[in-house]
Amino acid sequence: MTRVLLTALIHRALLLGGAWLALTSAALEALAPGAVAVAVAVWLSLRLLPPKHPFALWRLARHVPRFVAGSVVGGVDVARRAFSPDMRLNPGWLELPSDLPDGARVALGGELSLMPGTLSAGTEDGKLLVHLLDTDAGFDRAIPREAEEIAAIIGQARSARG
Amino acid sequence: MTVWLHIVAIVLLASLGGALWRVWRGRSQADRMMAAQLIGTSGVAVLIVLAALQDWTLLVVAFALALLAALAAVGFVTSQSPDGAGDPEEAHPPKGWRDRGRNG
Amino acid sequence: MADLATYLLTGLGLVFFIAGTVGLVRFPDQFSRLHALTKGDNLGLGFIALGVAFQAESWAQLAMLALIWVLALLAAGTVAQLVARAALTEQDKP
Repeated sequence: MTRVLLTALIHRALLLGGAWLALTSAALEALAPGAVAVAVAVWLSLRLLPPKHPFALWRLARHVPRFVAGSVVGGVDVARRAFSPDMRLNPGWLELPSDLPDGARVALGGELSLMPGTLSAGTEDGKLLVHLLDTDAGFDRAIPREAEEIAAIIGQARSARG
Repeated sequence: MTVWLHIVAIVLLASLGGALWRVWRGRSQADRMMAAQLIGTSGVAVLIVLAALQDWTLLVVAFALALLAALAAVGFVTSQSPDGAGDPEEAHPPKGWRDRGRNG
Repeated sequence: MADLATYLLTGLGLVFFIAGTVGLVRFPDQFSRLHALTKGDNLGLGFIALGVAFQAESWAQLAMLALIWVLALLAAGTVAQLVARAALTEQDKP
């Protein structure tokens, strides 16, 4: 068994086991069926979504506070615009060359969709299409750093690029 | 506290009602889907508030609704793809897509 | 003290829910509306869950609230991309 597969197995077992404990309030009589359910779920998840990259959980954990803070700023920004009389919208598109693998690119897109002023609409010709709420507000400046941190989580250290 | 939480639930229900109207009279398919998403999120929020007011087991219902709302959106998007069941990235943006999403 | 936190946080949650709905009605194009919906509602749900968490009576209820919020967060990010893509490729209707 490779290292990548083993770490994925452990992470997913912890995640799904934790979800089971939360759903059943960790009731004693639910532990035995839970063991079976979690084992089957982990097997199914490894079949449906085989791990392809190493995954650094601690990097992800370190990334979470930035993401939560960003999504709060994003919500506040959009609320201010919604309530202001002229909304100050200047929407436009940005095409972002990205060499992240599929799953990581979707994670980046999802994250950008919750961060201030950016919204991903999938890829076209290997470029991530990003909608900006206001092209003058500099929302796009945060993107390279997000991409870099997500690349680091799946073990792709590389130099920063736009 | 009970009174306040009831007010919160009623306001959330009102926004849910507004969203229902948007599903009925949407400007486009995507707008209708957004309204359906709004119904999902505010439904989850109402259930969380009701859980605190009445019975905490309602949290399980809220969880199930959150799960179903996500799957509903996936169902909608795959149904919009060319073969009706595929990857949304199969469909390519029409010419002039850059002008969509610019004050129009 | 816990009650005060609940009042404050659920109130804040309502503000963001209303902001999301207002944006959904007011913003001029589909994609901007999607911004409002995704970011506003998600933050609204987060604050309401956090506010209600101060009324929880056991760790299991807290864990359920956290589970719901994490699921909603992941779903919101993914769904926003999917709906944006569908809106982008949607054929113009007369």
